[in-house]
Amino acid sequence: MSMTMETGELINFHVAVGDQVKSGDVLFEVMTDKIDMEVEAPADGVIEALVANPGDVVEIGKPVLIMLTETEVMAFDFGSDNEPVAAVEVVAVPAPVAPVIAEAPVVAAPVILNETVKAVPKARVEAANRGIDLRTVRATGPDRTITMQDVNGAQLDPAIAKRQAANKALIAKGIEMTRGIAQASFTRSVNANFDHAQFIAAWAKVLRNRPDLAAHQHVGVALIIESKYGSALPVFRDPDQSSIADLTALVAATTDAAKNGKVPIAMLSGATTTVFDLTSYSMSSATPLLFPNQVTSVTIGYESATTKIVSLTIDLNFCDFYDGALLLDALVASL
Amino acid sequence: MSVNPLLMGHPLSSPEHARHALLYMWRIRKFEEAVEDLFGRGMMHGTMHLSIGQEASPTGMCMALTLQDQITSTHRGHGHCIAKGADLTRMIAELLGKKIGYCGGRGGSMHIADVETGNLGANGVVGGGIPIAAGAALASKMMKRGTVAVSFFGDGAMNEGAFHEAANLAAIWNLPMILFCENNKYGMSSSTEKAFAIDNLADRGKGYGIPGVNVDGNDVVAVYEVAQAAVDRAKAGNGPTLIIAETYRWKGHSRSDKNLYRTKEEIEEWRTKDPIPKFIARVIEEGILTQEQCDAIQNEAIEAIKAAVNEAVKAESAEPSGLLDAVFKAVSA
Amino acid sequence: MSDRMLTMAEAVREAMSIAFDERPEVFLLGEDVGIYGGAFGVSGDMYHRYGAERVLDTPIAELGIVGAAVGAALSGMRPIVEIQFSDFTAQAMDQIANQAAKIHFMLGGALHVPMVLRTPQGSGTGAAAQHSQNLEPWFASVPGLKVVVPSNPADAKGLLLAAIDDPNPVIFLEHKLLYKIPGRDPVPEGSTRIPLGVSKVVREGKDLTIVATGIMVNKSWEVAEKLAAEGISITLIDPRTISPLDMNPVFESVEKTGRLLVVQEGPAQAGFINEVIAQLAGSSSFGSLIAPIKRLAGMNIPIPYAPQLEKAAVPQLDDIEAAAREIVNNWR
Repeated sequence: MSMTMETGELINFHVAVGDQVKSGDVLFEVMTDKIDMEVEAPADGVIEALVANPGDVVEIGKPVLIMLTETEVMAFDFGSDNEPVAAVEVVAVPAPVAPVIAEAPVVAAPVILNETVKAVPKARVEAANRGIDLRTVRATGPDRTITMQDVNGAQLDPAIAKRQAANKALIAKGIEMTRGIAQASFTRSVNANFDHAQFIAAWAKVLRNRPDLAAHQHVGVALIIESKYGSALPVFRDPDQSSIADLTALVAATTDAAKNGKVPIAMLSGATTTVFDLTSYSMSSATPLLFPNQVTSVTIGYESATTKIVSLTIDLNFCDFYDGALLLDALVASL
Repeated sequence: MSVNPLLMGHPLSSPEHARHALLYMWRIRKFEEAVEDLFGRGMMHGTMHLSIGQEASPTGMCMALTLQDQITSTHRGHGHCIAKGADLTRMIAELLGKKIGYCGGRGGSMHIADVETGNLGANGVVGGGIPIAAGAALASKMMKRGTVAVSFFGDGAMNEGAFHEAANLAAIWNLPMILFCENNKYGMSSSTEKAFAIDNLADRGKGYGIPGVNVDGNDVVAVYEVAQAAVDRAKAGNGPTLIIAETYRWKGHSRSDKNLYRTKEEIEEWRTKDPIPKFIARVIEEGILTQEQCDAIQNEAIEAIKAAVNEAVKAESAEPSGLLDAVFKAVSA
Repeated sequence: MSDRMLTMAEAVREAMSIAFDERPEVFLLGEDVGIYGGAFGVSGDMYHRYGAERVLDTPIAELGIVGAAVGAALSGMRPIVEIQFSDFTAQAMDQIANQAAKIHFMLGGALHVPMVLRTPQGSGTGAAAQHSQNLEPWFASVPGLKVVVPSNPADAKGLLLAAIDDPNPVIFLEHKLLYKIPGRDPVPEGSTRIPLGVSKVVREGKDLTIVATGIMVNKSWEVAEKLAAEGISITLIDPRTISPLDMNPVFESVEKTGRLLVVQEGPAQAGFINEVIAQLAGSSSFGSLIAPIKRLAGMNIPIPYAPQLEKAAVPQLDDIEAAAREIVNNWR
C-alpha cells in the first residue's frame, strides 16, 4: 500500500518504547488517500524509539519507529544497508548490526572451511547458482575434489536459505491479501522484441494516458528481479519521462544491484503497478498477481523466439473490463 | 590474355626478336633496381633476392617457350617471372603487400606465381620447385599436351636431394622437362669450388643418363640456342636436358649479405661481362637494331617499371579479413 | 561373410578404382604399387586393370615422388601418392608441408593442389620404431592439409572418394592392422562419399563420452559393448577427419554425459587428441563436466620390437575398460 503513496499522516502508535512485539503485531496507523492503514511488525523484536509524532505527515521511506529485531528482516533488506524494509519501509532496523548473519548460522553438522577448493566444473556452476559456499562442502571425490554428488547433498548457506524461506512466506501473504479482491485478467500475443526498459516505459506511457484509472500523480513501475537472495521489486518512477538511454542504463544498473542483493532505498517505494518477466523461466504465461494497493499487474511470457505473451490483471474495484482490455491493447500496440 | 607478352624465336632472327630480348633484359634489370630502391626506402617488407647481372638466362630460355609451357622458379625468381610474361604492376604490388599483388599480399617475393603465363611459382625452399616441375612434365605427358616444364634453379640446389630425385624421375620416365641451372658460382656463401668435387657441373647429367649442356649464361643468344635445342628434344619425346648456364650475380645473396665470401675484384670482373651491353653491341654490329633504337628500348623499360611502381603504390593494401578462408580451396557442392 | 564385408585394403582399392573410372585425371604412384600390387596389397590388381600409364611404380624417392605429385596436381591431374610407411613421409616433408599445404594460401588462391597422399600407420606388426609410428599430429598441425583417419572399411571407402574429389591436399592415414580384416558394417556399393570434416557418433550413451581415432575407435567400441551389459552406457565419437576437426558432437555429448575420455594410439606428448581436450576445455561445455577429462595415449617412447613391449606401448582394451570404469564410478 505504501508503495503507492508519497506521504502519509501518522495517526497513532499502538506500542510504546520497550514493548516486546511479535511479528504481525500492529505498530501504528497511517492515513492514506484511500484508507487508514495498520502497519505491522515485520519480525519479533523490541521497540527502541518512536521518531515521529501522531498527526505528523511523514514521507514514505523515512523512519517513524525504530525496533530491534531478533532475527533478520526478510525480502527487501539487501546488503549491509539496514535501512527501511519491505512494504513497511517506515520501520527501520538498527544500523550497526549486520543483518546477514545476525546470529549463529543454523547448520546441522560442524562447518569445515576448506580454503583450497577443488571441484568439478559442473559442481562449481551448481554451487554458484544455489548460493552454496564450496568451502563448506565436504569433498568425497578423488584427490579431495568436490563432486556433483557432494554439491547436490550440500546444505544451502543458512542465511540465504532463511531469506528464501521468508521471501516465500511474504509472497504467500501477498497472495492471501489479493485473494479477496475482485479482479480480471487479459492476455495477448506480441510479435516484437523489447527489453525491460522499453517495456516499462511503454507501459508507463499507457498508464499515464489513463489518469482516470490511476490513484496517483506519478506512475511507478515495480520490476520483479529474481536473485539467489529472493525477489527484489525496485520501482522505476515515471520511466516514460526519462530518455530511453538513461532508463536503459538505470534498469541495467538496478538489475545488477538486485542480483547482488542490493537495491537503492529510493527505489523501494512508489509502485503503482508491477511487471514480472517470466521469459527467463521459459514460461509462456501466468496470471499476474495484484500487489497490495496496486490497480494493475503485468507478466511477460515466452512463446517462441519471435513471440511473447503479455498478460494483464486489473483490480475491478478501480478498473472495469472494458478499460482493462483497452489498456492491454494500447500496451501491445505500442510495443 | 588479351596480348601474348611472349615472343618465341632466335633473338637475332629479326628486329622484333632482338627488341624483345633486349626489352625483357632491361625490364628485369630495371625492375630489380627499382626493388632495391624501394626496399632501401623501407617500403618493402622482409628481404629481397636480386638477380641483377643474370638477365640473359631467363630471357634466352623463355624465348623458346610458349605461354602454356610451364616454369618453376626460385627465391631469386623475379627475372624468371618477368621473362615468362608476368605483369609488372602485380609483381610490385605483391612486394608492397597490396590486394592486387599476384598473391594478394600473402606470398611475397618468393612465392609469385602466374597461371596465365604458365608460371607455377617461385619457391622459398632451395630445390623445392624441381620435383614439382617434374610432376608438371609428367602431367603434360600423361595428358598429351605437348608442353614442356622448365625448372630454374641455382648451383646450390644441385646438391639437394630433391634435385637428384627429380632428375632421376625425369630421366627414367623420359619427361619433357628442362633442368636449367643458373650457376652463379655461389650458394649463399659457399662457392661451387667448395660445394662440388667435380669441376664441370654438366657432368652430373651423365649420372642420370641425360645430356648435360654448358652455356655462357650471360649470352642471351647462346642461351636461346641451347634452350631451343632442349625444348625440341623434349617436345619430340626424347626426354630431359640439364643446362648449366654460367652467370654471376652482382648483388649479395639477399639484403643482409655483406659479400664477405667473394672479392671486389671478382665482382668487378663479372660486371664487365654484363649481358645487356654485350647483346647491344652484337645487334648493332649485325645491323639488326640501331643505337637509338636500343636507347629507346631502355627508356621503354624504365617507363614500364615506373608506371608499374606508381600504380602499385597507389593500390589498396591487403587486409587480414579472409585469411582463414584462404587456406583451402572451397569444396564445390 | 557377406560379400560386402570387405577388408580395409579391399575397400580402399574399390574406392580408387571407382575414382579411376570416373575421372581420367586420377592416377596412382608409389613404390611397389604396380606389378607388386602394393606392399600391403592395397592396389592389388589395379596395375593389370588400368595399366602402367595410370599405376606408376616409382624408385625409392619419397621427396621426388611427392613433389612430382604436387606438380602433376598443379597441372590438372589428381594424383594419389602412396608412401609405403607413414614414417617415410619424413623424407617428403618439404613437398608435403612447405609446398602442397601452402601453395593455395601463399599464391593467393592462384593454384591449388588436388592430391591425396595415402599411407599406412600404426604399431602391432613387430616392425619396430621406424615402421610403426602414428604421426597424426605432424600433419594435423600444418594449416593447409586435410587429414583423414578412417577406422573401418565402410568409412574408408566413402572418405577416400571424398578426399579424391577435394581440391586440397589430403593426407589419408590407414592403419596397417586394419588392412586385412573387415569392419563391423558392410561396405556400401557404388560411388558414395562421406564428407570430410564431419565427425561420427558411432554409438550413443549417457554415462561417458569417448572420442577416439583410428584403431582406437574399434577398441573403444568393444569396451562400450562390454560395459553396456553392466549398465554403463557410452557415447563413442569417431572424428574421421582430424583436420579440419568437427567438435560439435563432442560438445553436445559432453553436455549430456559430463564425462570425457579421449583415446589415441600415438604418444601422449603433443598428440593430436590434445586438440579435442583443448577445445572442450575452452568451450562453454566445460561447465558440464562432472569429472576431470581423461586421456589414454601411447607411451612417450619409440615403438619397441618385442610383442609384449610393443603392446605395452599403446592403449589396449584393458586400459580403455579400466579408464572408463574409473571415471564413471569415481565421479558421480
